[in-house]
Amino acid sequence: MGRSRLAMLLLLALVLVLPAAPVAQTKDDTLVYALQSDVDSWDPPNSVLREAIILGYHVFDHLAVRDLKTGRVAPHLATSWKALDDTTWEVKLRKGVRFHDGHPFTAAAVKATFDRVLNPENKLTARGNHAKIKSVEIVNDHTVRFRTDGPYPLFVERMTAQVMQSDKIIKEKGHQWMQENPIGTGPYKLVKWSRKQEHLLVRNDDYWGAKPAFKHVRIRIIPEMATQIAELISGGVDVIKAVPPDQMDVIDKSGRARTSTSPILRTAMLQLDQAGRSGKNPFQDVRVRRAANLAADMDAIIKHVLNGLGDRTATGVNPMAFGFDASLKPYRQDLAQARKLLADAGFPNGVDVRFRTGLQIVEPGVLQTNEVIVADLAKAGIRAQQNHMGEVGPYVAQVKEGKAGPMFNWSWGYYSVFDADAILYDVFKCNEAYSYYCNKELDDLIISGRSTLDPKKRTDIYVKAQKLLFDDAAYIYKWGLRGVWGISSRVDYTAPRDEIDRMFIVTPRKK
Amino acid sequence: MRRYIVRQLVQFVVVVVGISMLSFAILHVIGDPVLLLLPQNAGREEFERYRRLLGLDQPLPVQYWKFVSRAVTGDFGKSWYGDVPAFPLVLERMPPTIYLTFAGLGVALAIALPLGILSALRRHSFVDNLCTALAVAGQAMPIFWLGIMLIILFAVRLRILPASGYGTWQHFVMPAFTLGAFLAPITMRLVRSGLIEVLNQEYIKTARAKGLGERLVVVKHAFRNVCIPVITVLGLQFGQLLGGAIVTETVFAWPGVATLTVESIRNQDFPVVQCAVVLLALIIVAVNLCVDVIVGFVDPRIRVRA
Repeated sequence: MGRSRLAMLLLLALVLVLPAAPVAQTKDDTLVYALQSDVDSWDPPNSVLREAIILGYHVFDHLAVRDLKTGRVAPHLATSWKALDDTTWEVKLRKGVRFHDGHPFTAAAVKATFDRVLNPENKLTARGNHAKIKSVEIVNDHTVRFRTDGPYPLFVERMTAQVMQSDKIIKEKGHQWMQENPIGTGPYKLVKWSRKQEHLLVRNDDYWGAKPAFKHVRIRIIPEMATQIAELISGGVDVIKAVPPDQMDVIDKSGRARTSTSPILRTAMLQLDQAGRSGKNPFQDVRVRRAANLAADMDAIIKHVLNGLGDRTATGVNPMAFGFDASLKPYRQDLAQARKLLADAGFPNGVDVRFRTGLQIVEPGVLQTNEVIVADLAKAGIRAQQNHMGEVGPYVAQVKEGKAGPMFNWSWGYYSVFDADAILYDVFKCNEAYSYYCNKELDDLIISGRSTLDPKKRTDIYVKAQKLLFDDAAYIYKWGLRGVWGISSRVDYTAPRDEIDRMFIVTPRKK
Repeated sequence: MRRYIVRQLVQFVVVVVGISMLSFAILHVIGDPVLLLLPQNAGREEFERYRRLLGLDQPLPVQYWKFVSRAVTGDFGKSWYGDVPAFPLVLERMPPTIYLTFAGLGVALAIALPLGILSALRRHSFVDNLCTALAVAGQAMPIFWLGIMLIILFAVRLRILPASGYGTWQHFVMPAFTLGAFLAPITMRLVRSGLIEVLNQEYIKTARAKGLGERLVVVKHAFRNVCIPVITVLGLQFGQLLGGAIVTETVFAWPGVATLTVESIRNQDFPVVQCAVVLLALIIVAVNLCVDVIVGFVDPRIRVRA
């Protein structure tokens, strides 16, 4: 009796604590999207994660967004903008837009949003993106003016990086509440968030723009890529991103899903310590840097190691960035010339260097491509000793602290700003945290590039800068990355070039 | 018994303090959390401000003391990501891990007990050899690999189970089996060798001489004595099982505390890591305490001695 009662109690306890069944939706009206890790908050300006940007696009709107077809910035909640003078931008706002709670979207919301982000007391991580904005003024209900600290050519780009939040919510509910309760003007509303598990969104039927095809979107957190692929093939998930190149075949041959690739705004390089941040090293001599660039056969690596998933670049500037010079031809392998340059530099018997490697999550296939590059460098006499660091955090810290020299693999995502300045300033300018290059002449170009609003002048400046970087072989230049998405056969979706997935443009596949 | 429990409790405090100090020290050695917290383009003064804000500019002993004095009141601080208090965050993720661990334990026992008994009774037979081979294979199989293989078989090919996730009993099947398969071999070998040893003892001969059926002899007389080492080892293996849960949770996208801990270590989210480590240590110590009590229940000699 005692034992059976115990068993009954245990059974009862188990039944009571087992989780309840999830909310009822049918498979046909629900789209499932997978992410490798969850967001920490539903308040996009309070997060540094790309996942937060992606989720933000579904529930909030931006003043401007990137047109995925042309690649240009297009109007969204803003209907037009113009520079009144070097330091003032005037933005006209869309009329008749309402937040999910019914409160109208007006100039007051724009001002409240930027005031909140720019106030250092609020410690929002997005502040760095908009630090050039000095103030926001309301002209009338549907017009605002931004005053900037000096000319700010990136203003238009940056409008795509700030979600519009409600002035009423900011004032009445406050920061803490906003962390879990997103009230935007976007195409979807948040129904339920089970941390590290899933988000359930429902269509905003009062949306001012094009209505999404699917009534519900489930965003599931699945950390393991192999599991994501299994879910995709077995029909549990409709869209996954960051598929490793060697898994493309598995998806394409499954008959239930396919892959789609797109160039993304990220350039990969092997940075060399020209600036001597990690101490004296052979790469401070331009002949050694040129030799390194001439040693590796990047075209062959893209073709054979990366399955073609790379776009060769002559410098660090990505083909999709404003200011990219397509006429500049990349280095081509020339081992004899490389050996000669090395001998001229005083290394007739070759040279030994440490090569810090890592970041395989950010750049799929980087370890494999590193192997081939090391072999190529050795043919020219540059013997690179690989030194691997698995974790992203400590790796980035080493780079930032100037300890990663004389050579390390690195890639740059431009903070999603499609402009040459977004890489030149951070990765090539003297004394910047991620820069191991220092050249006064280049610095002058970078500064003048951000001091004018004239696109023609800016293009000329960046063409000069790229020529300089190519001739001086600042780093070993590799390629622009391509992302790989897995897409279920039941839906239509095109991979986005800004790496921001938008489930509201996914449609059921026509049979 | 009371003295025993007091001793265990003192031990518990020492263990938890030791672990929290160790994890505190390790976290501070692996790098600067502010580097991960702020966007890459944040300025130097921004970093300094954040460091002050989080109290990271103070000497380590001071930081540790502040942590301890708040932790004893159940306040582990707020997660540095998303401004959520660490304690409820960890607590919320505890049940899935505990269900998974017990389900894994259940599967392990369901496999290990019958097979272990069978091997012992039919020593050196074909069945015994097969079980030994299975045990070696099971022990040699990485959890990660087994999990993926199960997914490919049952979710992708047969499509009878969901590949990952949490919520219904179907979601439990593969993770529980994966984790159980990791613990089953050692338990099975233990049951087998324990039973063989016991079956050779005099009192078993007596029982048989009395004319008791073989089934009664094995189940009632022999098995009870085999239970003691098995329960003890299972208790000791519990920490291992939680370790196995980390991998299992990752493969099956299980929203448990193990993945939360790993992710927080990666983000260097000190408050959450500290809270999780202390709570996990508490569970392991508590499980070991339970094991001692259960062993006492099974083995009257221990009860009497205490």
